[in-house]
Amino acid sequence: MPFYAFFLSLTICAIMKKLGIFLSLITLLLCVVSCIEDQDFDQYKDLSVVPVFESSILYLESTEDVINNVPPGPFYSQDFSFNAFSEAVFSDRVLDGVITYEIENTTSKPLSLTLEFLNDADEVLDSESFDIDASPSGTLQRDVVYGNTGKSLDIIKNTSKIRVVAVNNGDNTSTSTISPPLVVLKSSGKFSVRVK
Amino acid sequence: MVFVCRFVSGQNKQLLYDFSEIPQSLLINPGTETDFQWYSGVPLLSGISFQAGSSGISVNDLFANDGIDFNDKVRDRLINGMSPKDDLSGTYQIELINIGYRGSETDNFYSFGIYNEGDAIGYWFKDYAKLGFEGNADNLNNRFNLGHLKTRGEILNVFHFGVTKEIDNKLTFGIRGKLYSGILDFTSTKNKGYFVTTEGQNNLLANTISADLELKSSGIITLDHVMDGDSSAGDMIKRGFFGGDLGLGVDLGFTYHLNEQTLITGSILDLGFLYHSNDVLSYSLRGNATVEGVEIILPDAINDPNADFWQDLVDEVEGLVPFEENRKSYLTFRPTKLYGSLRYNFGETVQSKGRLDCDCNVSGGKSNRAKYTNGVGGQLYVINRPRGPQAALSAFYQRCFGNIMAVKTTYTIDKYSYSNVGLGLNLQAGPINMYFMADNLLAYRNIAASNYASFQLGINIISWGKN
Repeated sequence: MPFYAFFLSLTICAIMKKLGIFLSLITLLLCVVSCIEDQDFDQYKDLSVVPVFESSILYLESTEDVINNVPPGPFYSQDFSFNAFSEAVFSDRVLDGVITYEIENTTSKPLSLTLEFLNDADEVLDSESFDIDASPSGTLQRDVVYGNTGKSLDIIKNTSKIRVVAVNNGDNTSTSTISPPLVVLKSSGKFSVRVK
Repeated sequence: MVFVCRFVSGQNKQLLYDFSEIPQSLLINPGTETDFQWYSGVPLLSGISFQAGSSGISVNDLFANDGIDFNDKVRDRLINGMSPKDDLSGTYQIELINIGYRGSETDNFYSFGIYNEGDAIGYWFKDYAKLGFEGNADNLNNRFNLGHLKTRGEILNVFHFGVTKEIDNKLTFGIRGKLYSGILDFTSTKNKGYFVTTEGQNNLLANTISADLELKSSGIITLDHVMDGDSSAGDMIKRGFFGGDLGLGVDLGFTYHLNEQTLITGSILDLGFLYHSNDVLSYSLRGNATVEGVEIILPDAINDPNADFWQDLVDEVEGLVPFEENRKSYLTFRPTKLYGSLRYNFGETVQSKGRLDCDCNVSGGKSNRAKYTNGVGGQLYVINRPRGPQAALSAFYQRCFGNIMAVKTTYTIDKYSYSNVGLGLNLQAGPINMYFMADNLLAYRNIAASNYASFQLGINIISWGKN
């Protein structure tokens, strides 16, 4: 072994030895002076994060002209996709909720509105019907609860389409004196979602 | 410490600052007066430092076995108790090489080396947490501030070369040039916008988002490949040796003697930038949108019987507030640090090792200044952070025990603690120099309740004298 390598080895050994003693003393000192109060990290398991989110769902508006343009009976029927409920991020975590409907009819005829919740196979999971008197009828409000003591939450989890059927139960000639004559359906959902 | 490793920012090294017996003090003030002939840090062991701080809550605040419901503690102390100005931050630094030597002109001292540094800060994203914890249902008209997302961090290698010059008997000036080689970087500091739920114009509710958010990163793709085993760790290491992002910086510092026993010092560190052009991946979310659910308006909907109202709504929102990815280069400025101190030396004068061959003289001429056994004074530290400058004020006392040992104690107040007492110890055993420094020692009574912890240690070989 060349002399300089031997000398270098000795130097490194000396340094490491002194460093070892130095760090041992420091570690010992910190161990002696440091304390920690009792901690319970299992408390994390008790954490419950259940935010409540709400949003509008569907808005339907029709003028009286549209209703008068067709013979009495159904004047509008439409299926459309609605994937907000069936998204895994929602359907896997939703705990309960309520859908609120508000209907206002200022037309001169009594109307029926039906909302049907459909799954991927177009099977009707649930339906909600509203019979609305001719104007003046005020505002019809209905809260439909899902989960807990309400309807099955599976309805919400499996809904991927909504069917809207609007029926004129009156004539197709009269005109409301209220301007503008409209039928309006408003709706919103408020759901608890388990995040943790 | 809370989330010790999640956020690692510029460390206040108040104990090491102006501790001229330790070579690493030159890295904090290149204008530090030294009387080394030469020194060499032991590779990888010459300078190891770590700091972590939380200006909000501590581990003890959440996990103390105190019988309080954990959900109440999270809601009251974390979600509602912390402010968007509270941060989780930290830094580490490991010297790979550090060498210094006195030039043929003895008033000049040169030092150079390489160190690896990681530095990050994350401010408490209060409104995001509140939205996630409570939801928007009972927060009608309450704007959730999307600007609460503010974070940055980096890992880089720094190659440096510095010159310290004793201008005259009163003034020593130093400058250090730095070449930065960035390994990893992420930054998201200029976010703006809000999310709010209000009464709808048509429908019952309206959810509105106004967003100007961006997260820029560099090196993440390589890191991801390394984690997946698709690349070797060598690819990350290469980025630290000019294979990644590059930047330039400079440190400046001085020591000035107001009189024989009183001196002022100052330094500004990391006045520089990094240009991220390699392995860049950035995301943005910008735009404004208001949603009131699916809207069916007759007779328009009758005229378009095949309309997919849901998909149209999704497409409209994605068009108004697009989430985009890009690979554009970007520039970041280093977290610049500023130190300053006023020091009064007193007590017996001791002959420094560097002046063994000198005829010491208290009022001496150039390079013949006497050393005192005691020093007392105050220090200021300021660092540039994403929410503006953050300062710390320290009082210190330093004592030398011959040329074998020196100790320094500090009392520091900053946003993390009003009771930060630190202690630094420097030992000289022949040519071997060892130092250890730790902060916030009072917190060791219950380390879980600590909001701040910091240490520095290292080992050097020093040859003394200005021959």
